[in-house]
Amino acid sequence: MYGDLTAVNHVNLSVEKGALYGLLGPNGSGKSTMIKMLTGQIRPNAGTATVLGIDVQKDPIGVREHVGIIPEQETPPSFLTASEYLQFVGAIRKIPEIDKRAVEWFDLLDFADKKDVLCKDLSRGTRQKLMFAQAFIHKPKLALIDEPLINFDPIMQHLVKDYLRDYVKAGNTIFISTHILEVAEEICSGFAILHKGNILHTGTVADLTAEHRHLDEFFLSLVQKAPHA
Amino acid sequence: MLELFVAMIKEEWRVHSTMFGSLSFALFPILIFWIAFMGSFLLPLMRQELPPGELSLILHANYLMLGFMVGAFGLLGSEVMNRRFGQASLLTYSARSLPISERRIFANFVVKDTLYYFVLWVLPLALGFLLASPFIGVPVSLPLLLTLTLTLSFLFGLCAVFFLSSVYSRSKPALAAILISIAGIAGLLILITGQNPARFYPPLQLFLDFSWMNFVLSCIAIAILFCISIRLFSPGSPDATKHHKSLLMPLAGKLSIFSNPPLAAKDLIDMYRSGGIVGQTLFSFIIPLVVIWFFLSLLTGYIPPYGALLEFALVTGVIASTMYTWITMFDTFGTYACLPVSVRTVIKSKIASFSVLQIIPGVFIAVVAVLSGQAIYLVPAVVLCLAVSFYSLGVTVWLTGLSPSVLVYDVKVMVVYLILMGAALLVLSAVAFAAPFATLGAVLLLIPAVFFARLGFSKWETREQPGF
Repeated sequence: MYGDLTAVNHVNLSVEKGALYGLLGPNGSGKSTMIKMLTGQIRPNAGTATVLGIDVQKDPIGVREHVGIIPEQETPPSFLTASEYLQFVGAIRKIPEIDKRAVEWFDLLDFADKKDVLCKDLSRGTRQKLMFAQAFIHKPKLALIDEPLINFDPIMQHLVKDYLRDYVKAGNTIFISTHILEVAEEICSGFAILHKGNILHTGTVADLTAEHRHLDEFFLSLVQKAPHA
Repeated sequence: MLELFVAMIKEEWRVHSTMFGSLSFALFPILIFWIAFMGSFLLPLMRQELPPGELSLILHANYLMLGFMVGAFGLLGSEVMNRRFGQASLLTYSARSLPISERRIFANFVVKDTLYYFVLWVLPLALGFLLASPFIGVPVSLPLLLTLTLTLSFLFGLCAVFFLSSVYSRSKPALAAILISIAGIAGLLILITGQNPARFYPPLQLFLDFSWMNFVLSCIAIAILFCISIRLFSPGSPDATKHHKSLLMPLAGKLSIFSNPPLAAKDLIDMYRSGGIVGQTLFSFIIPLVVIWFFLSLLTGYIPPYGALLEFALVTGVIASTMYTWITMFDTFGTYACLPVSVRTVIKSKIASFSVLQIIPGVFIAVVAVLSGQAIYLVPAVVLCLAVSFYSLGVTVWLTGLSPSVLVYDVKVMVVYLILMGAALLVLSAVAFAAPFATLGAVLLLIPAVFFARLGFSKWETREQPGF
């Protein structure tokens, strides 16, 4: 709760290992609040959240140690270069051979020419690349991503989507929060629809496809019918 | 233009009031008023020891420094757009979407800051003294004149720092030349008149010898500084393609005595690359303290020379503690929220960075001790300065966590801070006059400093931080 506002209410959700799971909802539905709860940024007034078997309220640092996080708005520190930021992350996460891994990420996301530029001088897209790299550089079993493709150009979106698919194929789990339904339909296996802090539906894209339905049309019908819509 | 100005005032108010509540923030000027009102009743006692002219010196110096501090906090030359005009001040981005020039926005920003901080800091102090004056046998004309001259003193400090920071953003050698020229003129004045140059400070001259000519001269001096700073202001875009040598890990290696070297190294890199290590040191530390020293040295006829030095060490310690604000202004906890880092760890790293920066006040007060011919009191002065600084840091960490520049405007926070600092400063001040070498005992302040810092670790660890 934020003052009198209940941001997330009676949410009961579990995500299986190896899923690429999408939390879908319109602006203000509580998606980012959920991510903040799952990473120990905010504490729920009631209920519990467990990530990789760790109680988030009891050990938020333990959770953040094992997961990768890409927030929607946070940007890397202004006065560090891109390269220094990854070294900074590597030092905190105690990642061996951080410089080698950083070079791999600069090459993969095609921004090696910007590695010595201060983060404040990077374009939004390049900052997003850097945030993406910091979230995966320690090879976490789970990544929590708020709006994964925001600020990326079409080429980079394609590359990132492929990366995410491969990542879950390797046995890892990804939990994304988005309101871009085309992206969710394209890459997610399971999804939940959140509206005004309540879960309206949980299901799989495969089930929808079997019913010859599209996610956007299904989403709109649910949200428009929802109470207080 | 007017709409932009009004909107900026509203924005500034909302930034502060949303952070700790409208009521708490609204009470801040009332607190200042109350302190001034009650403090005025001490004037008859102080006048037994100091002539009224000398008291006015101290008051004008305080207001000048207030102007300096407010100006320096708001502006740091080339850092204006990048730092102060950050994400919290959205209106200052208007030049990008509306047909308003950055220079015009800057002019609005300066006038807004002047008015805003005048109402917040200056007016309540002046009113407190004015209302107390009938009770302490001071003619009403005197506080009215003082209100005028103190206001001018505040504006002088504000515009002087705007001027210097604008020059700094254009050319560092030009700034150096100006500062050397000022020092040269001060030296000439001493040689020619045999008086301390602080006596020629226009608002003080106006107070001591009111005439319309003096008033106009003061106003012209302020207007010139203001106009030149607007003229010189150039937001300039930083070179976005500039490549920087990697400093983080080499610096972290040098800071390995601390528990989290990369975090402390990041803070120091922030300071270095933002220009803050030079800009802040100059505008928020050295210049205000040099001005204070000039004024304090006028009191040497009434207090022993070692007393002036040790009092100055106390003031330097208090101002040195604001370096904690310097290293917390570049990021929020959000920067660390994606990483396995606790609030306690971040605060500890800030304390480590703060400790490194304490070399500046340590060296500064040592130089002052030598230059003032009081080298024998060098060690007590340095100990006093650093002990006060770390004690103030401990209190600040406990009260404000990672947001010292914001929470200081919360009345409850301010009152507790003033009580805790006031008690320590009062005792140390008395000891400094009575037995100067006994001030070495100030090192004991580190015990409560550690105690308060630990309280702060626990307090802020359990509170939600502004994350991503």
